[in-house]
Formats: sequence, C-alpha cells, structure tokens
Amino acid sequence: MNQVNIQICIKEIISSFLNKIKKVDHKNNEIYIHLRDIDDMPVICNHVYTSLNTKLATIICTDEQKNDNDFVIRYVFEKLNADIFIFIIASLKKSKYFPSIVSQIPAAASYEREIKDMFGLVPVGNPDLRPLVLHEHWPNDIFPLRKEFDLKTKVARQEQEYPFLRVDGDGICEISVGPVHAGIIEPGHFRFSVLGENIINLETRLFYAHKGIEKLAESMKLDEVLLLSERISGDESVANSTAYCQAIEKISQVYIPNKAKKTRTIFGELERVYNHIGTLGGISTDAGFAFGAARLNILKERMMQLNESLSGSRILFGVNRIGGVKYDISDKNKKLILEQIEEVSSDFEKIIVFLRSKSSFMDRLKGTGIIPKKIAHDLGIVGVAARCVGIDVDTRHDHPYANYTVHNSRTPQQIMQDQIEMEKRSGDALARFEVRVKEVHDSFKIVRESLDLDDDDGLFTEVPKEITPYSYALGYAESHRGQTLHWIMMGEKNSIFRYKIRTASFCNWKIIEHAVLNDIVPDFPLVNKSLDLSYSGNDL
Amino acid sequence: MSNSLEIVIGVIQVLVLMALSPLMTGIMRKTKARTQKRMGASIFQPYYDMAKLMRKDEVVSDQSSWIFRCTPWVNFVAIGTAAFFIPVFLSHSPFGLVGDLLLIVGLFGLARFFTMLAGLDTSSTFGGIGSSREMMISTLLEPALFLAIFVVALTYGGTNLSTIIETASNSSLLPHPQLIFAAIAMFVIILGETGRLPFGNHATHLELTMVHEAMVLEYSGKSLALIEWSQSIKQIMLFALIANIFVPWGISSSISVSTLGFGLVTFIIKISAFAVFVAFLESSIAKWRLFRVPDLIAVAIASSLVGLVLYYL
Repeated sequence: MNQVNIQICIKEIISSFLNKIKKVDHKNNEIYIHLRDIDDMPVICNHVYTSLNTKLATIICTDEQKNDNDFVIRYVFEKLNADIFIFIIASLKKSKYFPSIVSQIPAAASYEREIKDMFGLVPVGNPDLRPLVLHEHWPNDIFPLRKEFDLKTKVARQEQEYPFLRVDGDGICEISVGPVHAGIIEPGHFRFSVLGENIINLETRLFYAHKGIEKLAESMKLDEVLLLSERISGDESVANSTAYCQAIEKISQVYIPNKAKKTRTIFGELERVYNHIGTLGGISTDAGFAFGAARLNILKERMMQLNESLSGSRILFGVNRIGGVKYDISDKNKKLILEQIEEVSSDFEKIIVFLRSKSSFMDRLKGTGIIPKKIAHDLGIVGVAARCVGIDVDTRHDHPYANYTVHNSRTPQQIMQDQIEMEKRSGDALARFEVRVKEVHDSFKIVRESLDLDDDDGLFTEVPKEITPYSYALGYAESHRGQTLHWIMMGEKNSIFRYKIRTASFCNWKIIEHAVLNDIVPDFPLVNKSLDLSYSGNDL
Repeated sequence: MSNSLEIVIGVIQVLVLMALSPLMTGIMRKTKARTQKRMGASIFQPYYDMAKLMRKDEVVSDQSSWIFRCTPWVNFVAIGTAAFFIPVFLSHSPFGLVGDLLLIVGLFGLARFFTMLAGLDTSSTFGGIGSSREMMISTLLEPALFLAIFVVALTYGGTNLSTIIETASNSSLLPHPQLIFAAIAMFVIILGETGRLPFGNHATHLELTMVHEAMVLEYSGKSLALIEWSQSIKQIMLFALIANIFVPWGISSSISVSTLGFGLVTFIIKISAFAVFVAFLESSIAKWRLFRVPDLIAVAIASSLVGLVLYYL
C-alpha cells in the first residue's frame, strides 16, 4: 500500500518538474529527489508543501566537501496522510548562499538560521538573519559543524550585542526575564514588551545550554552515540534513543524482534506517563494550586520508582540498544507493571476529577495561552501543542514504529469520533491539560495491551559489523513533547558522518511567542508550563 | 501604680505579638505542608530562617538610593508602632488614647508606601511589576477596609480599639447581624493584606506572578529578615484584630495574673486556629487571575455595605 503511495508521489513530482530533477530514488518510506540546481528549491518545496499535503519536518545540511559534493542541503517533508518522508536534495556548488523558502514555508525560518550559524551558509531571502544557536560571544567566522572545525578548538570570546526587537509606543515597557530563573529550571531569556500587564510582544532567546551533541557524535562510536542520544533531554531518553536506534537499524536494514518492539513501546509509554503526570502537576503548581501538584507528584514518583525497578534507572536510561532492547520484562515485572498502573490510573482519575471540580483552578486554565490554529499549522508544531488545537499529528499513528502498528487499528466510527473530538479543541491551556489526561489513559491502555502479547524471539538482532559508508536514514519517535527526528549519515569505518537531531521542542518553542499574545504577564508561567518545552532538548 | 502596670502590660503585649509572629507563619506553613501530604519544616523554622538571615551579609544594588536602605526600618517601625494599639490579652490597650483603628490603617499604608518605593528604587523589572500590582490591589483594599471598620465602629460606638473590644467582650454578637458581614469583609481583606491565596502565593518561585515578593526581591541578609519579620508581625496583628473584634471572649478586662494568663492562652488558641483555617483555605484554592482579584475585593465591599444597611435597619 505504501509502495503505491510512494510511486504516486514520485510521479506527481516528476511530472511537474522533469527538467529540474537530476535523480529520483526511494528506500523504505523515504523518497529522495535530487535537484540539478539549488535555485529551483523554493519552487519545488512550495509545490511539495502545498499540493502534496506535507509539512516541513526538518532541513538538514551536511558538509560533504571531502566527497567532492560541497555542502548539501536536504529539505525533509513529511506527508500528512501517508507514511512517507520526501527529501529534496541539492548541493551548493561552491557558493555560500542558498535560496530561502521562508516566504512560502514559515516553519523553515529557524532551520535556516541554524544552518547559517553552524555552517556559515546564508539563506538569501530570509528576513531574520540574526544568530540563533550560537550567541553573540561566538566569533562570526567560525562554523562548528563544518568538517574543518576541530572538536577541541578553543574559541576566543567576542563582544557583541544581540538586537532584540523593540516595541515603541506610549506606555510600553520591557520586562526581561532570565536566562537565570528563580526555580530550578534551565536557562532561557524572555523579553516581554508589555502595556500594563498585557503582553504586546514576546521574544525568546534560548540556546544557552549548547552541548555540541551533533559535532560530538561525529567523533564517537555508534554505541557511545546511543548514550549521547539518551542525554539530549533526560526526560525524553527512551524516545530519543529509540529514534536513534531506528535510524541505524533502518540504514543497515535490520528488523528487530517482536519482543524488542513491544518492550520499546512499553518503555516509551511509561516515559510518556511519568512526564505527562509531572507536567499536569507543574500546571497545578503554576496555577498556585499546591494540593493538586502534591498529589500528582506522588503519582509521578510512583511511576519513576516503577521505572527504576524495571530498568535500574528512574528516567529509563539504558533501555535501548542498537538492534533491540537491553532489558527483558520478566513475568514478575509484568505483574508489577500491571499492579502499579492499575493503582496509579485509578488514583490519577480521582485527582483529575477533583481538579476539574475546582473552579479556581479551571478558571486559570480556560482561555489562557490560546494557540492560533493557522499559526500552529504554518510553524509546523508537533505533539501536544498541535493536538490541542486539533491538528492531528502523532508519529505513532502517522509513521508507526515499534509496536504501534498494532495499536492503531481504529474503526471508521472511532476515526469519526476522533475527528469530532479534534475539532472541539480550542488550543488553550485547558485543552492541553485535557489532551495530556487523555494521553495518560491511552498510554496505560497501550502498556496493558503490549504486556498481554507473548513472543519469544530474543531481545535484539545483531547489526552488521560494517555499515555502508554514506548511507543514511531517518529515525523518528513520538516523545511526550512530540515528534523527535534523528537523521544519520554513516561515515567510513562505522563512524557517524552527520547526526542531525530535531526534537519536538525545537519546533514548538516558537509557538509560545504567539500563544501569550492575549494574556497578561502573570499567566505566562502557566502558558509556558502547559506547553512543556525542553531547553536542553532544544539546544543540542 | 495601676497606670504604670498597664504600660508594662502594654509593652509586654507588643513583645508577645513580635515574638509569636514567626510562629504563626510556621504554623501556617506546616498546615499547608500537611494538607499537601508533605512533612513540612518544623513550625519554628521561620525563627531559624530569621536567625540565619541576621547573620548574613547584605547585597545592596549600587543603583539604589536611601529609600531602599531605610525601607526595612520604616516598615518595622511603622508596623511595630501599630502593634502598640492592638489589644492582645488585655481589652483596653494603655496606648489606646494615642491612636485608633484608623491610625493602624495609616501606619500600614506608610509601610506599604515605602515598600512600593523600594520596589521601584532598584529599577529591577520585578520590583516595578510588584509595586504596580501592589498599588492596584491596595487602592481597592483600603476603601474596603475602611467600610468594614465603619460597620464595626458604628456598632460599638467608636474607632478606638479599646472601646470596640471592651464593648464587644461585654456583649453578644447576636443583636448585631451587621458584624457577621463586617467579619466576612474583614476576612477577605486580611487575605489580601497578607498576600495569601487567592491574592498572592507566598510559596511561588515564579517572579512573573509575584506581588509582594517581587517588591522585596532585591533584599537580602538583615534587611530581608527585618522585612519578613515586619510582614509576620503585620499578619499576626491582623489576625489579632479579627479575632478580638469578632470573637472577643476570653480577653482579660482586669489586671490580674489569672485573667491575663487565661487571656494569653485563649489569644494564642484563637489566632492559631485562625492561622490553621487560613492555611487550609490556601490549600484548597488556586491563585486567581490577577484581574479577577478586584472581584473578590468587590465582594468585601458589598459585604460591608450590607452590614452598613443592616445597622441602620
């Protein structure tokens, strides 16, 4: 079925742009379209974006100068109604300029700025060319993801100022918050322009926690990069390592055992549960309702203790391995999981019913931080933030991986009901609250179903010792924040040539600037928490 | 003789208020912790905190003026002075002739005025936010407080606290239904004045949501200790006011060891019970939206007005 879809897609693109395309290729669920000239990029991207019902998933730049290929840019589009990723590939041909596609596809803005910082290639036509990832203290002419940049280089500090957007007018004040905050959270700077308490404009400045993961991966062995991928954002460890493993498995054409698929699913859902409960607790804290937060945090703690007894790690580090999983879930542990989620889900239900009955709490959430649907769509938002406005994107449904193929069977009536449900969602903090509650219940259900099935085909498949150099594939998973994409291009001798990660937070941080525009300053923490964005996961 | 004894007891009353004030904060924190299924720190923790802060050095912004440095003292002196007029376990305060309920409100206003200036003085963003919010809330709270005081003053024939409480302790609440409405108003106002939920959240770490905490965010060391102490004295005074005006029984009207002792014990029980009640209430509601807070104050004003109508009825 999917093969047919792929052929239709390819035919559609070729028929429109035959003379502009050098080569078309496909592998797994990925279509590769090589262009002759990068200047045709905007036209073709726009066509793929508008007529093929896709969204921009990521833009990947690689430095392939050593292979006589110059810089290569891959625009990855994700088809919304089929399990297909479309790569539009063009090489730069000794120029440091490439055409921007921002005017047609606004979601591309931050990817292009990222490429400008990391590779020194300038997107022509992007109105905002301020640095994004590298801050003003980083020298203008050093580009860390170029191959010529050595990992151990010590870089001199330079003095510059970041030009924030200034809002002028009578009575407009600026409030600058962070990067160091009062709570124990990560760094991020927020620049509000306010009229009284009303937020006129918000500008976020993130990327204070750069860890150089993408560069670091190029110097590490495959197994070590697995550990690195778990540490992109500690609370998304299963999702990120799953995506990483899947990319490697896809490149080497390895199919993992059913048991491993189920185990990955179970751990993935356990991760979602403890994080969603934690976020719901955080929402309660930020609304000033400590009682609800205390109750929910007890449940989060119980789930984390369950994690520890299953994997030895409270945040599920070390669950995945390339080709499968590390831990078998014994019969004793199966019973433990069932007992725990039974207790936690019944307590969870009670607390949620209680929270819904608290008018002061509900009033804080309702109508707060409304995400405009159009903007969410344009910016390519993923995860809960997208689902709370009724944009039905979920990697588990759209591109089933691990064991999710099994959990996706819905009757037409259910699909209808889901669509109606989606239409009702209004995009405010309350919608996000309810979406999270629903997802916790769904996760419990998936865990129960995955435990029921019994397979005995081992925990992992061996991955070939030598993987073809310069082959590449896209791994993906749905973390509790949304889709996380890991694109890997293998290098020689089983090294990694390029590791491009795009987490859900990278997509979703932009939406907060739009979500707060109808709110007042004291509601900002609530909006922020209800979106549950990661600083570390955003800044690799 | 009796006069000087009265003065001694008056001073003791002030010292009792000052000494007990951190305990009330401790009791409230403990109650909140227990209702939230936490163990919570000991009820004496605020004393340890204060002792710790007293030993610490201060950091004062070089952008600030004398206002920032004198505000903790103005706060402490203003609130400390107000404490002299509040009957604690003796119904007639010996200093009652000098000041009445309106003076207390005025002294609170003075303390607040300087705190707001100090918030602006350091020109930090949060100080400004805090001052502006405090200004919004206090401009609404003050008329509400005056209305509530009017109801009480009309009922008991004066704004002098000694008169009010002496009359109150000798009469029953039953013939004065307006007092119930005044008590409701007073209760809401006390929540607002002390920055309790749903007005403000003492436990929050979110600078953007703070009201009072944002104004004093720049303070550290001894100044912070002084400000926090003043705040808890103000809180215990307000508790004492509502307890002694509306539940005056048990307060001593004559100077004898047994009645004074009884008065002190009942006083501690009354305000502790009140503190526990407020803490319970805080655990059971979320913080309201900032712009819904005026609605709550409107409830207080309306309640006082109903009380006023009932008085003339």
